[in-house]
Amino acid sequence: MSAKIEFHNITKVFPGVKALDGVSFAVETGEVHGLVGENGAGKSTLIKIISGALNAESGEMLLDGKVFHPAGPQDSIIAGISSIYQERSFLPERNVMFNIMLGREKGSSLGRLDFGEMKKKCREVLKLLHSENIGLDLKAGDLKAGQKQILEIGRALVQKSSVLIMDEPTSALNLEERESLFQGIKRLQAEGMTIIYVSHRLEEIFRLADRVTVLRDGKWIQTSRINEINKDDLIKAMVGREWTGSFPSKNAEPGKPVLEVEGLSGKSFRNISFQLRQGEVIGITGLAGSGKEELGQALFGAYPIIGGRIKIAGEEISPTPWTAIKAGIAYLPEDRKTEGIIQSLSVRRNISLPILGKLSGLIGNIRIKQERELAQSWVDQLGIKTPGLEQVCENLSGGNQQKVVLAKWLASRARLIILACPTQEVDVVVKFELYRLISELSRKGIAIILISSDLPEIVGVSRRVLVMRNGEIAAELESGRVESETILRYALGQAAMGGA
Amino acid sequence: MKLSRSQILEFLSENGFIIIFIIWCLFLAIVTPPFRSISNLMTVLRQASIIGIVAIGEMLIVLMGSGMDISLASILGLCGVSAAMLMVAGWSLPAAVCAGVLLGGLVGMINGLMVTRMRINGIVVTLGMMYALEGVGFVLTKGQTISGPTVISLAPLSRGYFGPVPVPVLILFFFYAVAFYVLNYTVFGARSYAVGANERASWLSGINIDRLRLLSYIIAGLLAGFGGVMQTSRMGSATGGMGSEFLFPILTAVILAGVSLSGGKGKILNVLIGAIFLATIANGLILLNVPIYIQKIISGVILVLALSLDRLRNIGGRA
Repeated sequence: MSAKIEFHNITKVFPGVKALDGVSFAVETGEVHGLVGENGAGKSTLIKIISGALNAESGEMLLDGKVFHPAGPQDSIIAGISSIYQERSFLPERNVMFNIMLGREKGSSLGRLDFGEMKKKCREVLKLLHSENIGLDLKAGDLKAGQKQILEIGRALVQKSSVLIMDEPTSALNLEERESLFQGIKRLQAEGMTIIYVSHRLEEIFRLADRVTVLRDGKWIQTSRINEINKDDLIKAMVGREWTGSFPSKNAEPGKPVLEVEGLSGKSFRNISFQLRQGEVIGITGLAGSGKEELGQALFGAYPIIGGRIKIAGEEISPTPWTAIKAGIAYLPEDRKTEGIIQSLSVRRNISLPILGKLSGLIGNIRIKQERELAQSWVDQLGIKTPGLEQVCENLSGGNQQKVVLAKWLASRARLIILACPTQEVDVVVKFELYRLISELSRKGIAIILISSDLPEIVGVSRRVLVMRNGEIAAELESGRVESETILRYALGQAAMGGA
Repeated sequence: MKLSRSQILEFLSENGFIIIFIIWCLFLAIVTPPFRSISNLMTVLRQASIIGIVAIGEMLIVLMGSGMDISLASILGLCGVSAAMLMVAGWSLPAAVCAGVLLGGLVGMINGLMVTRMRINGIVVTLGMMYALEGVGFVLTKGQTISGPTVISLAPLSRGYFGPVPVPVLILFFFYAVAFYVLNYTVFGARSYAVGANERASWLSGINIDRLRLLSYIIAGLLAGFGGVMQTSRMGSATGGMGSEFLFPILTAVILAGVSLSGGKGKILNVLIGAIFLATIANGLILLNVPIYIQKIISGVILVLALSLDRLRNIGGRA
């Protein structure tokens, strides 16, 4: 095999951080090349350099043995490199055909579109991906997450790409969709496509990749054949030390009730009742569409309620986000990049935003010194890597942005913290750091609701588990006594009802 | 310290119009000596005062991501007319001024309620309001000019001097000092920037967005009302259509200042400079004896130049 892309000493510096530091390795033609590393290791930066969205400060990239220096994304696309980012790029209001043919519309010399030709091309592409069931006239915005992904892969095929870059492609997909994506990838590989695959889910890397490259702190660590390395060694290379993940012990002595939910109903859930005590961790799980995310939002007042009551420390609240915060509830949204932080604001202001009212004087003047001290203390406690408090959040790596969201809500001194899928798109080390933090917080008497579809995590972290199905609580289980399979059966509706 | 290319571009993209402003001022200072006099400087600032004051409110609306408020110039007109009519009807000066300003706040509140309660797009609401208010202005005045000795008694507000400084210039700087403080050092200001940058995240951070946005429309209305009273005071009379000449200057000052039209970004002092820039263009062209229609052409060219420097950052691509 020959090298498709070679990196020689690629270096990229952002204000205050060396995102990539002399990275050199090669991706061979026709392989699926896994790219792994902790948050902030430089994976995203490297991908952006290949796809032309960023320029390297120094170093050289070779494509098919020739020096390749894209000035912008257009150059990379012309050179046959397509990328599918975490943030999707499609036109939600246009139909499937226009989305697949975007930038490659076929037409007469006068510019009249040749619909026949375009449709034919689209059908060919979808056939190759075994997705003929996607109608060409459907609005792209109405497609399921997995179909949107297919649409973007289809676009890459129309662009006659020879390299496809996939960054966390499965993060929004359910099990079934994931499976069909994997098969699509195998088929593309059989067509001779070179694929660079970035994922935090190591099992996907082991399943798909031929070789895997590890980055750590912007440096190249190793590139190995997948059959010559095991999972523990891979994690060791990513983390840089011996590492074993074990769940911290659970807080065994919950205190007085903090939250009482009685018959709560909304559009996506019905008749939900449960109690939560001080220092207790409760897990809420269920399949996609079970209403677990919406329930979490509703408790924070961010999703409309039709009926039922929410009591905090015995007092009923009418939930809006601001009354919820006053009552001591914090909510870490699922999409932290767009819902959790405000990219254009400083680290300091992002952390203080929910409690600005408490940090201000008579005429609403913010006590800046106090604000700065508060932010600094959380930056230190959580080890947020930032050149300073005034750095705007968009310059921080994904992992550090997540920590800013966490800091923001810990600073609000909440007595109840709702975590919506906190470990999605987080590497394995940060994941266990977070579990330890949850355990610490619960020991301090803070009640925690963990909403997640990661079953080992639900079982490992929470004392009780609420399993949701079709908007209702299908089972309430003591998590010490259940296994993931039991939970899954309730979630799927295969367990005998009332048997628990 | 050596600046990198991207830092220079970044600076230009936020402050580029200031460079064109300075070049224009230097040019005028060299070719027309009268431009350099203190009295002319005061004239320029006085001309900038009304636009500058109303532009504070416009900036706030734009900053919060509400689009634009197109009705502010019409609110200005209506409030100017109302204050004049109340003076003619025998109201005392302070009462008429307060009534004019409060009327502006009331119209702003109606705008704000339509945006926040009925969820109508802010540009649509204020566009409708603009037409409606112009009609109201003409109905109230019956197409006549409202004037009289009592109206002229408003004059000190815009024609008076405090030492060498005209009163409206003092008012202008006072308002900007307050706006600067509020936007940069208060909870209200911090929240305004946050909401404009990311409404959803702000809401999830416990910010009552509707209340904040309603407040911004009320403030913009109050400032426009005050601008109307000042304009009546300056003219010594009021007409139904007196607001319309302000529509574009108000928006231009805000756009020149580089306030992001999608919200969340912008510097209040740049808006002040934007308003003064507009005044120097008019002032300079008059000093240069440029015929009126040619003035328009040259104004357009200068504005496009100033704005294009702002957009340098986008030359690299749309990443």
